[in-house]
Amino acid sequence: MNSSESNYTAQRIPGMLRAVIFAIAFWALSLSLTVESGSTTAVLGCLIGCLSADQSINARPLYQVRLSSIVLSTLGLSALTYWLAGQIVKSDLLSSLLTPIGAFNSAEAFLWFGICFMASFLLRSLALRTRYGGVLEILFVATAFTITLSAHRNGMIHRPFFIGDYALIRGIDPATILMVIGCFAVIAMSALLMVENDQRRLPYHFTVIALLCLSLAAYVQLFGLPTPSVTDDMGLTGQEFSSNNRQQENPFRDGENTAQDKQAPVAVVVFRNDYEPLNGSYYFRESAYSQFNGVMLDYSTRDGMDLDLIPTFTDSEASAEFTPEAEDQHKQVQTTVGMLIPHRNPFGLESPVTYSNTINPNDSRFKRTYNTTSWAPTYDFEFLLGREIGNRNWSNAVRAEYLKLPDDSRYQDLAESIVVDLKPEYANDPFAKAWAIKAYLDQNGIYSLKNGHAYEKDPAASFLFGDLTGYCMHFSFAATYLYRSLGIPARVGIGYSVPASNRAGGSALLIQAVHGHAWPEVYFKDVGWVIVDPAPQKTLVDMSTDPQNELQQLLGDMLRDDTSYTEFMDSKREGLFGIRSFLTVIAAIALGILFLGYVIRVYRCLTPRFCSAEKRGQLAYRAILDQLSAVGVTRNYGESREHFAARAANTSPTIQTATKIHLEYSLGKNRHTSNVNWAKFRRAVAKEVSENTPTWRLAFALINPYSWAFTR
Amino acid sequence: MPQELSLDLKTDPSADAVSGKPAADLNLAQAISILHTLTDSVKKQVLGRDDVIDLTVIALVAGGHVLLEDFPGSGKTTLAKALGEAIKSEKNTEEKTFAPFRRIQFTPDLLPSDVTGVPVFDSNSNAFHFRPGPLFAHIVLADEINRTSPKVQSAMLEAMGEKQITVDNTTYLLDELFFVIATQNPLDLVGTYPLPTPQLDRFLFKITMEHIDRDAEMSVLETYIERRDHKLTGEFVTRRQVLSARKAIEDGVNIHPAIRACLVDISRKLRADDRVLQGNSTRSLVLMLPALQVAAALQRRNYVSADDIGMLLPRVLGHRVELAPGVTDKEKVFSDCMQAPMEQLARSTLP
Repeated sequence: MNSSESNYTAQRIPGMLRAVIFAIAFWALSLSLTVESGSTTAVLGCLIGCLSADQSINARPLYQVRLSSIVLSTLGLSALTYWLAGQIVKSDLLSSLLTPIGAFNSAEAFLWFGICFMASFLLRSLALRTRYGGVLEILFVATAFTITLSAHRNGMIHRPFFIGDYALIRGIDPATILMVIGCFAVIAMSALLMVENDQRRLPYHFTVIALLCLSLAAYVQLFGLPTPSVTDDMGLTGQEFSSNNRQQENPFRDGENTAQDKQAPVAVVVFRNDYEPLNGSYYFRESAYSQFNGVMLDYSTRDGMDLDLIPTFTDSEASAEFTPEAEDQHKQVQTTVGMLIPHRNPFGLESPVTYSNTINPNDSRFKRTYNTTSWAPTYDFEFLLGREIGNRNWSNAVRAEYLKLPDDSRYQDLAESIVVDLKPEYANDPFAKAWAIKAYLDQNGIYSLKNGHAYEKDPAASFLFGDLTGYCMHFSFAATYLYRSLGIPARVGIGYSVPASNRAGGSALLIQAVHGHAWPEVYFKDVGWVIVDPAPQKTLVDMSTDPQNELQQLLGDMLRDDTSYTEFMDSKREGLFGIRSFLTVIAAIALGILFLGYVIRVYRCLTPRFCSAEKRGQLAYRAILDQLSAVGVTRNYGESREHFAARAANTSPTIQTATKIHLEYSLGKNRHTSNVNWAKFRRAVAKEVSENTPTWRLAFALINPYSWAFTR
Repeated sequence: MPQELSLDLKTDPSADAVSGKPAADLNLAQAISILHTLTDSVKKQVLGRDDVIDLTVIALVAGGHVLLEDFPGSGKTTLAKALGEAIKSEKNTEEKTFAPFRRIQFTPDLLPSDVTGVPVFDSNSNAFHFRPGPLFAHIVLADEINRTSPKVQSAMLEAMGEKQITVDNTTYLLDELFFVIATQNPLDLVGTYPLPTPQLDRFLFKITMEHIDRDAEMSVLETYIERRDHKLTGEFVTRRQVLSARKAIEDGVNIHPAIRACLVDISRKLRADDRVLQGNSTRSLVLMLPALQVAAALQRRNYVSADDIGMLLPRVLGHRVELAPGVTDKEKVFSDCMQAPMEQLARSTLP
């Protein structure tokens, strides 16, 4: 009894180990997707699913059920679980019994238990019933860890906290720990598969491991190794991970809390070309409010609007779908931007048209670094006099969007009363009208961060028709509405505006939080969006900042200095065992292994011709076996040679005679086969094999360098 | 029986003339043809039992004994009789004449002397004369051996092991070709004395017979009259030919060291296996070697190969290995334990 018990546990241990590995994989997968209750039940569901599949899939009730039915029913049950979990959250009874949070937690727990149970049961069933199933298991475990890893790509997420905190305190990247766990899990799964399956699936394993290595290498090449974040977010204009392209809160209310850290550096820009703005400020456009949503201006949602904006970060490069016109009035300026805090969109010197990621010289300092090409304006404002407005490519709907404003006739009344004073020759000139409105705001507006408009229904109206006290948002919204009321297409540009004097003669420019700005823009035909920015003469705020020239220079050097940057990257590469050379070595080893296979194959094929007569009985027979194993006819483990020969006779009848002679030579008294014409046997076998084997198998046999490895 | 005996004596010289040569000079090819003559003539009488006939002939030539486990009326007696009739004893004045075939039906009241023979007082010579019992034959069918008392069983088994019997302190040698086919009914066990494992060890094979297939059974019914009335007209071999074939095969069939290593490895694995309570004896391996040689010769080979092991090992060790309680699948135990050594053996032939 004792012996059978120990036998039983010996059979159980691999199953348990696999269940635990599965559970860890599901746990890792669930971390970034669900709450703690979900993760816990994911582990439970997975353990139960694995063990019950092991126990029951080839036992009494289930062993008759077809695999396809099992697959379909687990999928169906998963969908049912998903639906039921949704019902738990929605049901009034549960949320009143458990509180809404409790209902949510129990729904997550239920959902993850069900999904993980079904998934692990399905995977185990496939592994137990099919040849490829085991490989799917490995792929699944690898994928689970890869997904978790990619969620850690920027070091933004540190769940689970006990790993994240532990690692960050000691200066280790938490992603590394996950990666190590994942690698061990995959290796353990592969080892289990090999141990249990008597080497028959070896080709599958090598394929899978090669695929894993390749994908890992490709991942590192594309994204680099994950980096943890060191600085905190001080976001002014939005946060990168709220990728939702909607206005998160009222733009008139964020001026209230930026006063204390107005000196905080936000980004540094290095100019690669000479450029000096004519109006005294560098404008960096990040985004624009251009669509009136019934309450205020918002990001555009209509196709065909704001084509000049680069909507979001990409992994490599992007360009605006639209380039400014009037090339002779613009200058192409290359800049490199290093963001010190995360932003939602890339920004660039007005007007940025292309954007491409560049390698980050110091990833503990810069959140992101990228190059932009900008079409910077070089024209005088006089150039705009007499220009028409609008773009001829705009559809009527787009044109209408740029002219929408609150349903408030006071805007038009005020605008008309302003432009009525224009000289007759400029009475119908759009730029002159815009300039007159700007001048009106310049003269009458009072710049102040403290104002009472934030909670009005239309803060712009409250500002414009009230005390005219506000900050850039009020000025830009009011100006845009006034322009629009006169039929001039306008929008609010958002980004940074830095006084040209801050540059202090260097090629680097430090952008600070205080430089966050919004401004009205007007579209002129054949020119593009032109910033017509009101600058109130009266101000209640000291907007001057310490230029921080040293910081500006330091950051600029860090971002610009290509040689030191290269050295830095080189030193880093050496430290990180040089991915590229590592890949080269791997490729060389793979090629070498391949080549070695062919060499051995040819050697084993030729050696019967040159060997001594005593050995020919063995070597020639081995060469014949190689011929057969190339087309997949191999002796099973523990099978006798005669039995194999009888089986292989379907492919090549000659093998039986050859086996008999070989065995007589090997096991009998007669130790010479010099009178046997082995070459004839080999030709006969080759002929019979080619007659009895499908063509694709023959082609594969021809190129397979390791066919001989299957000869037993 | 006396008639048949006289027939034997009549045909004996001609048989010797046919074989023509002194026994020891037989070469392997002749030995193989003798084997095939023997099996062919038995196969004419016993239909649908080719595997059992082969095993029985292997045991006969290898000097072992056979235990058949079978249902009544399945052809055991026919087999034993056919085998006995296929071997003619040549006339030899120096030796006692042995009957070709004797059958003993074992019952609970049988006495050892009923089997071995008994000294009888001869009033003419005023002395006891030994009257040989049924064991003095080439081929003895011991029917339902488990029905008799252990006393008779042990007398029988001594004769099988030593090829001699001792009565009243006098030892009588049995025939050199002495061959026992014992049977027992696997189902009807009431009032039997089952043979313990050490006694089973005397039998080279324990063969569990199965019912013959439909075609064979049909042809049994078709030809039973001819087979009943028709005296054996097929070829036969002489006792001396069988003995010399035994010698020729022993010398002529090679047992490679790898084969011996394989046998030892398998039995070591069996003994180490958790599912096996008691492994096989070393004697069983010694007994198996000649059987392997004969099996190889029957396949017209001059060497023992893995196939011979695969065929014979479960039959030789099946009744010698006791499984742990709860384990029933003996075939699986054997195939598990044989796999690795057989693989080793197969690999040994290639560099």
